[in-house]
Amino acid sequence: MEILKVENLSFTYPLMTSPALSDVSFSAEKGEFIAVCGATGSGKSTLLRMLKNELAPVGERSGEIYIDGVAVNELGAKKSAAFTGYVMQNPEHQIVTDTVWHELAFGLENMNIPPEKIAGRIAEISAYFGIEQLYLKSTHELSGGQKQLLNLAAVMVMNPDILVLDEPTAQLDPIAASEFISTVKKLNRELGLTVIISEHRLEEVIPVCDRVLMLEKGSVYAYGKPQSTVSDLKNKPSLLRSMPAAVRLFHAVNGQGECPLDVCHGRAFIQSAFSNKIRTLPLEKKTAVREKALEFKNVMFRYERDVPDVLNGLTFTAYKNEICCILGGNGSGKSTALSAAAALIKPYSGEIRIFGKKLKEYKNQSLYRECLALLPQDVQTVFLRNTVREELADVGAGELPFEINHLLDKHPYDLSGGEQQLAALAKVLASKPKLLLLDEPTKGIDAETKHTVAEILKRLKQSGVTIIIVTHDTEFACECADRCAMFFRGNIVSSDTPRNFFAANNFYTTAASRMTRGFYDNVTTVDEAAELIETNGTREDA
Amino acid sequence: MRTFADFNPIAVTVWFLAVTGLAMFSSDPVIYVIALTGAVLLYVVRNGRKHHGIHLFAPVIFLITALINPLVSHNGGTVLFVMNNNPVTLEALIYGVCTAVMITAILYLFKSYSQIMTSDRLLYVFGMFSPKLALIFSMSLRYVPLFGRQAKKITASQTAMGLYKDDNIADSFRGGMRIFSVLITWALENGIITADSMTARGYGIGRRSHFSLFIFRTADVLLICLSVIFSVLTVYLTWDIEFVFYPYFKIPDAGIKNAVGYAVYGLMAVMPVFIEIREVVKWRYLRSKI
Amino acid sequence: MLLIENKRLRQTIKTAVPFVLIPVTVLLGALVFDKKMHMYVSLVTAVLSLLLFASGYEKKPVGSRRMVITAVMTALCVAGRFIPFFKPVTAITIITAIYIGGESGFLVGAMAALLSNFYFGQGPWTPFQMFAWGIMGLIAGFMAEPLKKNKAFLAVYGVIAGVGYSMIMDVWTVMWYDDGFNGGLYLTALATALPHTLMYAVSNFVFLWFMAKPFGEKLERIKIKYGV
Repeated sequence: MEILKVENLSFTYPLMTSPALSDVSFSAEKGEFIAVCGATGSGKSTLLRMLKNELAPVGERSGEIYIDGVAVNELGAKKSAAFTGYVMQNPEHQIVTDTVWHELAFGLENMNIPPEKIAGRIAEISAYFGIEQLYLKSTHELSGGQKQLLNLAAVMVMNPDILVLDEPTAQLDPIAASEFISTVKKLNRELGLTVIISEHRLEEVIPVCDRVLMLEKGSVYAYGKPQSTVSDLKNKPSLLRSMPAAVRLFHAVNGQGECPLDVCHGRAFIQSAFSNKIRTLPLEKKTAVREKALEFKNVMFRYERDVPDVLNGLTFTAYKNEICCILGGNGSGKSTALSAAAALIKPYSGEIRIFGKKLKEYKNQSLYRECLALLPQDVQTVFLRNTVREELADVGAGELPFEINHLLDKHPYDLSGGEQQLAALAKVLASKPKLLLLDEPTKGIDAETKHTVAEILKRLKQSGVTIIIVTHDTEFACECADRCAMFFRGNIVSSDTPRNFFAANNFYTTAASRMTRGFYDNVTTVDEAAELIETNGTREDA
Repeated sequence: MRTFADFNPIAVTVWFLAVTGLAMFSSDPVIYVIALTGAVLLYVVRNGRKHHGIHLFAPVIFLITALINPLVSHNGGTVLFVMNNNPVTLEALIYGVCTAVMITAILYLFKSYSQIMTSDRLLYVFGMFSPKLALIFSMSLRYVPLFGRQAKKITASQTAMGLYKDDNIADSFRGGMRIFSVLITWALENGIITADSMTARGYGIGRRSHFSLFIFRTADVLLICLSVIFSVLTVYLTWDIEFVFYPYFKIPDAGIKNAVGYAVYGLMAVMPVFIEIREVVKWRYLRSKI
Repeated sequence: MLLIENKRLRQTIKTAVPFVLIPVTVLLGALVFDKKMHMYVSLVTAVLSLLLFASGYEKKPVGSRRMVITAVMTALCVAGRFIPFFKPVTAITIITAIYIGGESGFLVGAMAALLSNFYFGQGPWTPFQMFAWGIMGLIAGFMAEPLKKNKAFLAVYGVIAGVGYSMIMDVWTVMWYDDGFNGGLYLTALATALPHTLMYAVSNFVFLWFMAKPFGEKLERIKIKYGV
């Protein structure tokens, strides 16, 4: 049964010359899991918002959307609200009320459902989502992953037939993200719920979805089964970049036959088609003479007297002119270590030196002048003015190491997540730091911008800046790091070049590394895997 | 197990309004003393040795309020001594002490009430009158800790850019303004996401129902009825008593009727204390059987 | 069951408060009770006008965006009360009133008083405080245009509002203490509260002088961008 049908939909925002969507048509069967992909600005969000009448943007529109056979704007307020559930990107701001139980009841209250019935419905949904322990908690006590799960539960409690998710895992760490995706998949499988999801990280979505809708500049580039749509991306680097590693590898080596979608099939693809006579690429040499840029010695820190240490005898050195990525689980103390380095918190014992000088010897803010800068995780904490230009003038930014001219006259909050990241980076670079600390710079940004950021960081390194990045993003770390370090329970437990680091890790590693493990050695990125495959050539017996 | 705090918030509020209201509206020192006794007992039974700060604070308030009146008001016939050419009278002192008893009683009552009435309980009572304001209230309750946390993050990131310092008053003022300003933008801009999330879930399509975790049980209804009946009885039975403070303090003659009135008010004032003690006893008994 | 009760209760309050209760209380206060009863009359009036306002607000359809802005402003007031020596509550109430409307101003002031007293202590003064802050906002709402245009006028109004707030609260203090209005005691109370009053006045002045414009711009942007 066709539950959703979009016919020749075009849309233009007020005061814009080019349309955000042009002539988009597709339809979805009941119970289908549809992934929507495309670069930032491809019209993903606009399309998804238009599926829900209440959220439809104002502007000039033509074409029609049918939900359950009825035009979307003729559904009636009540049916429209309940029939389509909508989950957005930001876990924090979608929450309306102060307690978990109230949040779950909110939608049902709006539907004017009697309190006795509400009690039953929210009991049921809490049990299904396994959030009974959170029931009486304040919403602000939840972690990011729990918040997003609550948002999903608060939508599902209204019993929708279609669930629309606009980049729901962009702000979550990888573990919470994959938990969230599996919950959505479970809803789809067990309830026959129709799911339409847009994502930056497609690694986990593409293998489980029924159909993929690819958008490019507001038009449908492809719509169909994942196998067939992803096989056809050779000339679309912008779309290809966000695809799972297996798909990228398939295209990088001009693969023939069926395109693998996940690690498991990727392995099979490599092993069946290519030889492994040469198992490893030549290793790059380590640089010998190195000056210390940032040094932690036995640093201990805790936030309150009677809680455990967050930094537990942290000892670590970052060297001049390197990009060092610090990886590790949530709450392992990675970000706290950055705050300590930036003198935002005071360790109760141990010593931190920056360029050989003790932290407390930097008097009168001299630490923040042409020495050290920190790009915070939440880049919105950086913005104050009405335009990016004013933001930069505010800190006296001179020439920029990268180009953001097209953003200068916009309000910082009108930018996309990736653009905000770039603008914030430009602002913190104004102090001409020699040591740049970045906290989760790839959170919530698309593959394209991620690549741009990596390029910028490499250029900064060449101009003599030492960069330390705290991240969850293994692919990003591989792309730009000279050295990776693993943070665990308040200390660094291992550190090495990305190749050695990820080759030594079995679980906490990149998809490319997992795909080639045991067949090739020391492969961490899709590019490396492709290079190795090219040198080896196809199997002789194949 | 149902302590006084576990009663329906409306029932608690009705009891509280009855006891406080009578104490405030009355000008009868006996009522004041009963109210103070009940209030202190309730506080001690509920808190034990915890939160004992009020026991230090209350006597100070008591002394201040008791002494202000004789220093300001010079009515009354019995002059105790003369200060700065102004007579300090016994009657004014007695009046001050009486008021002090009343104010201390209300201080204790309000302290217990605020302890019991956590924000979700107040929200429930509030929601009975105005669901919409209750919703705004609930939203603000979420925002307050959120803003606190965000302000810390903003301070950190502005500090690291060298834009915030608190070396002297002017800097710290400028820095404070800066952070507040970032916070305002952040809160308003992201608030729109919240609004969208509300609309997406059907807010504003018509009449809303009002869900809460609290239900009415027989005991709640009983507590409300008793509070109302006892209040009416107290007023009826003690209406004719009038204490005269000026020019000379005079204790009126009280009959059986008035005594019964005081007893009724006393009973009402210690009702929660009984509830609390009953719980403790019941719990001990049950535990001894396990 | 609760809902029906609820509806009836609301309906009763809606009709009873404006037409019966307030006039009766005022009349009773003036005629029947003696001087002693002034405090109760004023307390009851404060509570009733809050109820009246709430029932009026309840009737109106209020969009989710406006709701969110009100909640945000309320929470900002509360957050601001934590800043030492600096109480931007009145100032934010005034800014809300002139940019969003007097009604929202009243609401923000009143709700901020109620909410912040969870952190600073509830007491019989809570309704009075709600009323006092609310009224400062409401009055600002009436003069929105001139206040928006003239920065000096705005800052002066801030000072007046700060002093006014203090004076209203002192009326309450005195009446609570003395069962009636005692001029001498009132002056004493005003004198004791002078440091607080000054702090209110100064912080309002400073806050409005420096923040009203940027704050207003932010609100205006939100209003335009999201069509509030």
